[in-house]
Amino acid sequence: MAVASSKNIRRSWGRIIPYLLILPVILYYAAFWLRPVITAVIGSFTNASGHFTLQNFAMVINDENFIPAVRNTAVIVFFSVTLEFLGALFLALLINRKFAGSGFFLFFAMIPMALPAAAAGAMWLTGLTAHGWINSLLYYLGILAEGEKVYWLAGSELSLLALVIFIDAWQVIPSVMIILLAGLQNIPKETQEAGYVFGGNYLTVLRKITLPLLSPTIQTAMILRLISAIQIWLIIVLLLGYSRMPVLLERVVYYQKEVKGLDISYQMATTYTIIVAAIVSLAALVYLQISGAFKRGKKEVI
Amino acid sequence: MATLTMKNVTKKFGRKVIAVNNLTLEVQDREFLVLLGPSGCGKTTAMRMVAGLEEVTEGAILIDDVEVTYLPPRKRNVSMIFQSYAVWPHMTVYENIAYALKLKRMDKQTVEKIVKEVAELTSISELLERYSSQLSGGQCQRVAVARAIAVQPKIFLMDEPLSNLDAKLRTSMRTELKAIHTKTNATTVFVTHDQSEAMSLADRIIIMRDGQIMQTGTPQDVYDNSTSIFVADFIGTPPTNFISADIKNINREIHLVNPHFDLQLVPEKASVLKNYNKSHLIIGIRPENITLVDAPNALLSAECLVAEPQGSHQIIAIELDDKIIKIVAPALPKIFAGETTHMAFKQENLCFFDPETTLNIGN
Amino acid sequence: MKKKRWININKAAKMTSFYIFVTGIMIAMLIPIFFIVSLSFLSTREAYRFPLPLLPALTTKFELTHGERGYLISVYDRVENEYMSVLDTQDLEKISQYTRYQLGTPMTIEEIEQEIVKLETQEIVYFTHRRNLLFNYETFFRVAGTGQAIPALIRSLQICALTIVISLSIGGMAGYAFARYSFKGHDTLKFGVLFVRMFPGVAIALPMVIILANYGFFDKPIGLSLVYSIGSIALTVWITASIFMGIPVSLEEAAQVFGSTKTHAFLRITLPLAFPGLAAAAMFTFLGAWNETILAIILTQFNPTFSVVVFQTVLGSVGQVNLAAAGGMVMALPAVVFTFFIRRYINQMWGGVTV
Repeated sequence: MAVASSKNIRRSWGRIIPYLLILPVILYYAAFWLRPVITAVIGSFTNASGHFTLQNFAMVINDENFIPAVRNTAVIVFFSVTLEFLGALFLALLINRKFAGSGFFLFFAMIPMALPAAAAGAMWLTGLTAHGWINSLLYYLGILAEGEKVYWLAGSELSLLALVIFIDAWQVIPSVMIILLAGLQNIPKETQEAGYVFGGNYLTVLRKITLPLLSPTIQTAMILRLISAIQIWLIIVLLLGYSRMPVLLERVVYYQKEVKGLDISYQMATTYTIIVAAIVSLAALVYLQISGAFKRGKKEVI
Repeated sequence: MATLTMKNVTKKFGRKVIAVNNLTLEVQDREFLVLLGPSGCGKTTAMRMVAGLEEVTEGAILIDDVEVTYLPPRKRNVSMIFQSYAVWPHMTVYENIAYALKLKRMDKQTVEKIVKEVAELTSISELLERYSSQLSGGQCQRVAVARAIAVQPKIFLMDEPLSNLDAKLRTSMRTELKAIHTKTNATTVFVTHDQSEAMSLADRIIIMRDGQIMQTGTPQDVYDNSTSIFVADFIGTPPTNFISADIKNINREIHLVNPHFDLQLVPEKASVLKNYNKSHLIIGIRPENITLVDAPNALLSAECLVAEPQGSHQIIAIELDDKIIKIVAPALPKIFAGETTHMAFKQENLCFFDPETTLNIGN
Repeated sequence: MKKKRWININKAAKMTSFYIFVTGIMIAMLIPIFFIVSLSFLSTREAYRFPLPLLPALTTKFELTHGERGYLISVYDRVENEYMSVLDTQDLEKISQYTRYQLGTPMTIEEIEQEIVKLETQEIVYFTHRRNLLFNYETFFRVAGTGQAIPALIRSLQICALTIVISLSIGGMAGYAFARYSFKGHDTLKFGVLFVRMFPGVAIALPMVIILANYGFFDKPIGLSLVYSIGSIALTVWITASIFMGIPVSLEEAAQVFGSTKTHAFLRITLPLAFPGLAAAAMFTFLGAWNETILAIILTQFNPTFSVVVFQTVLGSVGQVNLAAAGGMVMALPAVVFTFFIRRYINQMWGGVTV
């Protein structure tokens, strides 16, 4: 019957549509992401003649720069994430007070985030050289005497780490701030006002009401930050060149681009990559576990 | 204008959720039918199936005896007023109303004429060039009404169009909607959860619950002869009072006995219980049918818990068997909380319900 | 009365100190930017002076006298507040080159001769010449990336456009599906986005080199767009899903009741309403593609993108700091402008996201 078949056609058509819409994305990722990823994973377990081997990992672990890279990365991640969180929270709370010109302030606060990495690199590089603008500024402020210069880029490893952390924080804080700000604005004002009505002062309300309500947002921001922080490399290369302060991803680029010709380049680069990916995934999982995201049920995860 | 028929219509979501269960109903030409029921009873789903916005799992829908069950909405010749009005925010009021007309390939002059007429009818003529963000809730609602009228559909569908308005606006729009219905002579299906709205607007009410029809009838029917406790409780403000009582045969007269009173039934009422074999029942009595009398003529007496003066009348609440019973009494004499009140029942409007089936015994 | 005034003064004082505080923070955060902006306008000579002049000079002041080898040119140094000799030569061409490249003050040989003529009647000639403030920018486009700056810029724009097209179409479709339909795998999306970010883009770059080479897409804009789209599709799906969710279904349904097919309703109702959000998604994609450096480095060889050119200039910027600054500024400009336009959406994007 004409009616029955049109019913069936309409029904099946209607059911397929969502899957049709999703299909391009899935195909795209299968072709352009899954395939390279699998290639990379396989590559890390393959030697030059194409056989399975764990040699690559051994090579990487025995690489003289491996431990420093891991250590540097860990230090940077720990301190920068903490610093960025605190700084961003502070700014977000500040902007959330909605004073006159806060929109203005918000835009300016976002500028560091808008800068491309190369531009940011140029900026800090020109500042950190001996005759750079940082020293100039300090001179103008009277902190440096005539002819005195601070050799920022020649400092100890510790001071260099601090520098990198600071610069990274400068650039990243705006993006974390925005996430936190959005979360703050989702908290109904009345919830906080109730805190004040029932006897709290600013810090109490912050600690007991605002922050707990903000915690899902904080978690989102932190996990994204964590994932990105582990992959820091560009600013370090721009400021210090390769191998001066190894970090995990910098090693990948080093072997991929700088020492391309070597026999082991491909293996090293690929293996480092897999290690980075593994570390990132592990860190993310650990973080999610600690923050209880899985407990709260899949529904609330992102 | 046209008739609407739903035959054994069922709607399932997934495999377990049955939103509409084997629904069969008919709407006559030019009738104003109200689908009334609590949230989740399936009334909106039923309407959306008529509109073509929900797929029918089983059954058939016919408009003017033509089956439309599998037609897309635009081919059914219906129009709809949504609860949220669904006025398109990026188009002016004029464009909103003209939308359907333009899609029908009407020429510019006809479109303009119709839009102006309809705007006149709904009192929004000055608003034609505005956008919805510049309109109040009530004005948006009128735009939705105008848009629906403009297409001159066979069936008007209205999904709780008054729910988002403030109380005063709601009652005035009610009157306007009814006036428009009379003027346009349109077959209308109106969905609401507000029973007073249903009572004032409907030619016929269909009360739904859990996807099924509980009762169909005119407002007065449904009010006076509620077929179940659910309906008696749902309709009327304040709702029906329910009192349990035992049936006793004393001196060949039927008495309804309760720890607080002994009511001897008049013969007309007693005959209703002729074929009822159980010994308990539930009396349903509407607040206006409990009268305040002097002590000697009282059936029962109780302390007034709360008295709510309403201007033209007062609502007295007393406690009986741990339940609140409400009485609608004349404004004077004023009753105060704590006062002992004496009451009698008007027997003509008593209903009896079977405690197990919750159905009206008289039917 | 006295108490009230005291309260008002107190309030005013608090407000003022608050604003001072806020301004102070803002200044502190933007100092680096100030300097790079300023640096991009400084002449090469001044860029290497210590301490750095804070503002670029609009003119250069010259002192001309006879020198040992010919003409002695001195330039007024703003740091030392006196004239410092820079060149001693007969060669007018050399002088012209110097003023142009080191001072950002192009002077023709005729103009120089005009001043030299005055030496016949005077011991010392002082003259001022306007500076070309945009000199660094012009040089950058001429010189950077071995003259490749403009082609690279065009390439970057092409890539951005392609990436936007790919991401919006593929991602937008999926976003719509996620917004309007509920089906299995709904939560997988959110995990998916997170997961894709976990794997460094760099990682897939090397295998991609081979894959792209096989298709003939290596070192071509389309190749880069395909790779960039990987990240931006995920983001676009996320953004468009939330945009479409924000448009009530009832608007589409109303359109269907009043004569539209589902597709027509989408085009006439949903799309126009989604437009601002889609524009924001496009700008996000643009920014991502525009700023992307590392993948560009790996996936191009002879046809670099603009970000690569800037990157290389920065790396090799030993003698030309101000040039690198100019390049960085050019790169940053669209980014900052777009960020201004989408700042509301950046905020909105995160509203309602939890982990």
